Amino acid sequence: MTQSSETTAEQSIIDLDSVESGTSLWEDAWNRLQQNKLAMFGLYVVSFMIIIALLTPWITPYSYFEQDLDLGATAPSAAHWLGTDTLGRDLLTRIMYGSRISLMVGFLATAVALSIGVLWGTVSGYFGGRVDAFMMRTVDILYALPFTIFIILLMVVFGRNILLLFMAIGAVEWLTMARIVRGQVLSIRQQEYIDAAITMGLPKRQIMLRHVIPNTLGTIIIYVTLTIPNVILLESFLSFLGLGVQPPQSSWGLLISYGVETMEEYPWLLIFPAVVLSVTLFSLNFLGDGLRDALDPKASRD
Amino acid sequence: MALLTVKDLHIHFHTRNGIVKAVNGVEFSLEKGETLGIVGESGSGKTVCCYSLLGLLPTPPARIESGSAMFEGNDLLNMSEQDLRKIRGNRIAMIFQDPMTSLNPFMKLGEQLTEPLTTHNDISKQEARKRAIAAMQEVGIPEPERRIDCYPHEFSGGMRQRVMIAMALVTEPDILIADEPTTALDVTIQAQILDLIKKLQRERSISVIFISHDLGVIAGCADKIIVMHEGNIVESGTTDEIYYQTKHDYTKKLLNAIPSSAKPESAVFHAEEGSEPIFKIDGLLTHFPISDGGVFSGKTDECCKAVDDVSLQLLEGETLGLVGESGCGKSTMAKSIMRLVDITAGSITLNGKDLTRLEGEELKTARAEFQMVFQDPYASLNPRMTVYDLLAEAIYVQKNCSKDELLKQVVSLMDDVGLPAKAIRKYPHEFSGGQRQRIAIARALALKPRLLIADEPVSALDVTIQAQILDLLLELVKKYQITMIFISHDLSVVRYLTDRTAVMYGGKIVEYGNTEDVFNNPQHLYTKSLLSAIPIADPNKERTRQRVAYTADQIA
Repeated sequence: MTQSSETTAEQSIIDLDSVESGTSLWEDAWNRLQQNKLAMFGLYVVSFMIIIALLTPWITPYSYFEQDLDLGATAPSAAHWLGTDTLGRDLLTRIMYGSRISLMVGFLATAVALSIGVLWGTVSGYFGGRVDAFMMRTVDILYALPFTIFIILLMVVFGRNILLLFMAIGAVEWLTMARIVRGQVLSIRQQEYIDAAITMGLPKRQIMLRHVIPNTLGTIIIYVTLTIPNVILLESFLSFLGLGVQPPQSSWGLLISYGVETMEEYPWLLIFPAVVLSVTLFSLNFLGDGLRDALDPKASRD
Repeated sequence: MALLTVKDLHIHFHTRNGIVKAVNGVEFSLEKGETLGIVGESGSGKTVCCYSLLGLLPTPPARIESGSAMFEGNDLLNMSEQDLRKIRGNRIAMIFQDPMTSLNPFMKLGEQLTEPLTTHNDISKQEARKRAIAAMQEVGIPEPERRIDCYPHEFSGGMRQRVMIAMALVTEPDILIADEPTTALDVTIQAQILDLIKKLQRERSISVIFISHDLGVIAGCADKIIVMHEGNIVESGTTDEIYYQTKHDYTKKLLNAIPSSAKPESAVFHAEEGSEPIFKIDGLLTHFPISDGGVFSGKTDECCKAVDDVSLQLLEGETLGLVGESGCGKSTMAKSIMRLVDITAGSITLNGKDLTRLEGEELKTARAEFQMVFQDPYASLNPRMTVYDLLAEAIYVQKNCSKDELLKQVVSLMDDVGLPAKAIRKYPHEFSGGQRQRIAIARALALKPRLLIADEPVSALDVTIQAQILDLLLELVKKYQITMIFISHDLSVVRYLTDRTAVMYGGKIVEYGNTEDVFNNPQHLYTKSLLSAIPIADPNKERTRQRVAYTADQIA
């Protein structure tokens, strides 16, 4: 062998052109996902929503706060595709601006939940024993706090603030994330490749970063796609209660809440925001389901 | 007329990646009281074939394309689910591979044993219970009257398999399908279960279809055998024909794959005069505290003595075989040496360093000198890393080196274990079990260890692959002068591979000596019993030999 390995070493160690590219589990999952029409539909819709939300200020001719009291509420027309609200503001524009808030809350709050939850869950699950007991009991205690009262308290202490909303929702959602990640880590901890990593002398931090967390990502991604709609709903719920976003800013929850008030005279003010919210939530759920199927290793065995 | 005649059976799996022809024109017949052995490696279609008889295949993706299976004038393959249900468990019963998962843990044995009786026959509960107790008696479960009200977890693996057999027999079936019934069991237990199946068959003249990958197991119990490979029957005939007048190359390959001989002369280790042992274990104790499982309970004084006062010594380049049944402490001993579990007392010295005293940076550096190959190559490789990442990580963690140097070393490692360099960017799931184990071996060798522990490295692999991996280990150990501890429950493998053998029972080493001495002239009763339980791939020897039985009291 020494002979052959030396010759290959001379040819710049290995002829890189001949190297067969492997398919990682991620690529495998992506291929499977592409075959799932419903999930891909979900992915397209969500991407479309995100792009629209990002481009809103440049593509809409109206502003979300300027009122036209003379116009008042009008039904959908050529000038205002989805009609106007009681203050004469273009509904489509308000929905688009609303999507900025709603999606931002959805993604950012989930990101907050994700970072805390994954870190907390991994450390807790990996070290086990007393560390685990302490960290998980903390989670249990936080779980026991009533969510709405928690948010109201935060609002009272810090004042209303969109950033606070992210923090508040994230601070609640990470609990479930931490539990899920911990469960995953506990089972991965038993795998022989973790023992193998220990016997190689890898430091704990590296084992967690390189061996544990990448293998929990499948579950985490699925949970994320299911958390985002949850968070968007939470924001809607808080706004509906008057605890969330303040007018003249708009969010889907806020729009629906106004829509309900004027439901009988101007039904479109309720219907359109509700449809947009539902379609987005459905799409995210389809995507989540699709991802679960695609990332489930059992699916690849057939 | 034959009891069961299977003709021209074709079963295809329609998967996303195309059609997999799992069974391709299989034919066999089974007479009353006859035992048919179906032999083949994993993926040969032997299990699929038998599952189809009872309508147990998942359809889709499986589809029976053609064929017939005539049982008493009816075609099992074209039967309605309702009619099939009357046959399943009643006329044709099945024993599954893993007794740990095939019993319902929430049901008492009595309920599980009487269930097939009361479903298929119109008999009272008392009557069913009586027959269940009789069946338990027959399969050799002590105190059946009391134990019928136990739950499955109160039984050991061997006892559970007996329960499974009792369950299959309780309805007095005509055909018993045994799908690798002893693969998950220890050799001594395996021998008992095989004897039991043979006895029952003799006394009740049941027909048995015995599926196994192990020609040694089949040799003693089958009347005729079919050998399957990739969905085809490659050879069929009486047992003697298959073993003594082997025709097909594949069957020969299977037979030769079973190591039955001593270590090849070229690999035998010769100690130099006066050489000092490189590796020493002295009075090793590893005890696990037993807690009673309560939330606030602390540790109790009771403990499980997994490794109980073990001492041994190895010279450089020597290979030690560590044998024993599951639960005897051999894996715990490996983990103790690897510093994966904390030991209670004793010392482990490698190359003059006491491994048990090392901590932190010292331990990290020392780890390069003792490495381990794990049992299951499907679990020991991180599925998200490429071969390159897996091997480079092992090298990089111990010493910083340039990218080119790293790549060069990885390629040379892959070459050592017989993997093509072009597969360097592939992921573990793209390799077969044997290739994965090669990757695992390469990883263990990456740090050029002095001591290598191999914990059942071939037990998850097919027989023909096993032989290749064993030869590879033998070659590498010799090439790099590595001292190896080879852990196995498979005695023939140990004989083929090792210079010295230690037999472990209940955490203690009961016999220790040169491998050939231990095998030819065993001293301890337990060793004798272990040796007498190894299935031999030779029908004549297998039919006539006597087993040495032991009881736990005699050994303790």
